[in-house]
Amino acid sequence: MVEYWNSIIWPMLEGAQMTVLLFFIAIIISIPLGFLLTLAVKSSFKPLSWLAQTYIIVMRGTPLLLQLLLICFGLPMLPIVGEYLVFDRFVAACIGFILNYAAYFAEIFRGGLLAIDKGQYEAAQVLGLSKLQTTTRVILPQMFRVALPAVSNESITLIKDTALLYAVAVPELLHFAQTAVNRDFTIVPYFIAGVIYLIMTLILSLFFKWLERRYKFE
Amino acid sequence: MALIEVTGLKKSFGTNEVLKQISFSMNKNEVVAIIGPSGSGKSTLLRSLVNLEQIDGGSVQIDNDFLVKDGVYAKPAEIKEVTSKMGMVFQHFNLFPHLTVKQNLEMAPSLRKTESASEIEKRSKDLLQKVGLSEKANAYPSNLSGGQKQRVAIARALMLNPDILLFDEPTSALDPELTGEVLKVMKDLAEESMTMIVVTHEMGFAREVADRVVFMDGGEIIESNNPSEFFSNPQHDRTKLFLQKNLK
Ligand SMILES: Nc1ncnc2c1ncn2[C@@H]1O[C@H](COP(=O)(O)OP(=O)(O)OP(=O)(O)O)[C@@H](O)[C@H]1O
Ligand SMILES: [Mg+2]
Repeated sequence: MVEYWNSIIWPMLEGAQMTVLLFFIAIIISIPLGFLLTLAVKSSFKPLSWLAQTYIIVMRGTPLLLQLLLICFGLPMLPIVGEYLVFDRFVAACIGFILNYAAYFAEIFRGGLLAIDKGQYEAAQVLGLSKLQTTTRVILPQMFRVALPAVSNESITLIKDTALLYAVAVPELLHFAQTAVNRDFTIVPYFIAGVIYLIMTLILSLFFKWLERRYKFE
Repeated sequence: MALIEVTGLKKSFGTNEVLKQISFSMNKNEVVAIIGPSGSGKSTLLRSLVNLEQIDGGSVQIDNDFLVKDGVYAKPAEIKEVTSKMGMVFQHFNLFPHLTVKQNLEMAPSLRKTESASEIEKRSKDLLQKVGLSEKANAYPSNLSGGQKQRVAIARALMLNPDILLFDEPTSALDPELTGEVLKVMKDLAEESMTMIVVTHEMGFAREVADRVVFMDGGEIIESNNPSEFFSNPQHDRTKLFLQKNLK
């Protein structure tokens, strides 16, 4: 019995490592990238703004799974350039997640900016702060604070979305669960996978709850 | 020479002519109260002085330096220099919610880098004491009452040692029982010869503290006089009408 548990738990935990790795790579790169996108949308240089807006519409308006399939299997099929666009599956998946989530984070940050009262800009100006100082000292800290609950939500969604790796055959948590189910004719691995996802999302929401309390400004 | 000299100031929002050829001057150490009905352009006038609104014509001169000369703005560096002589207190305080009271006071001066950190700290301490909020130095604005927030905002403006302090309805967002503590601070400043322009609905304050009361209506200065004359013997019908409505 114990042996059986070991035989399914360990591969699944190994798969979970993949999940966690993807999560961190995606979050660490897509948040700053999303912020740059927000700035691009806000840019007074119209072509840049339009480009960024179009990008966001496309990335948010099409399924992540479709984007992943396109990057993993579609790009290498392109004529001429295709052969240079063959990535390791995991790398391809990371690129897909980053590009997709950056669009969501961009929207979240834009919302955060909209929530800031124009009196904040005016007070900063009258106090003699430069544009840059106003942005870094007054606007961004408030923007991130306002965006925090939405960022928390999005991060939890990201953990669950890593299950999409299954579709592009990267051996992550769900992959090992499915393998065990097929092999042993038992649904227990599904539940174990569920519990592991649950633990990861719980830890994450606790972390964000802590952040929100820490930066409550009260 | 006047400390503030405004001549022929014009400002429109689209087709709405909000300030029509305003001319106005005030001296150092003077306290001017601006009163008038809603929409008469009081805020716009004040905001024009600190370059929060772009005017369409006329001149604004502060301490002999032009912010705008005949409709042409000075260079950005000069604008910064000119406007740095003025501090502004807003109706809705506009404190920075992510900073403590002390940090609200100290941010702007420390970014200027003209004083040492310890000098700045000493002055913020003194100013908080002056507005009666020493014990709130480490509180966040969200934990203060409206009156306390406005006193912090005044202290924050004073941290930059302005020559002129502009107030745009500083007590209008406050519960009636909290206006007194803010007016008291302003009165103290007046007694210390601070030069102030105060847009206000507080007729009592205008009467007691101001050296001069300016009445605006429809984008024009209708009447300007010392408080006792202004209130006891208004010259214009529009002033009389306004005072009838607002003095109970
Ligand atoms: N940013 C703006 N865009 C368009 N119109 C504006 C703007 N700001 C003010 N106005 C208009 O300009 C006129 C004068 O407004 P202003 O705020 O200066 O009046 P006020 O005398 O301060 O009134 P209140 O006592 O209500 O504060 C009003 O008709 C107002 O609608
Ligand atoms: Mg106003």
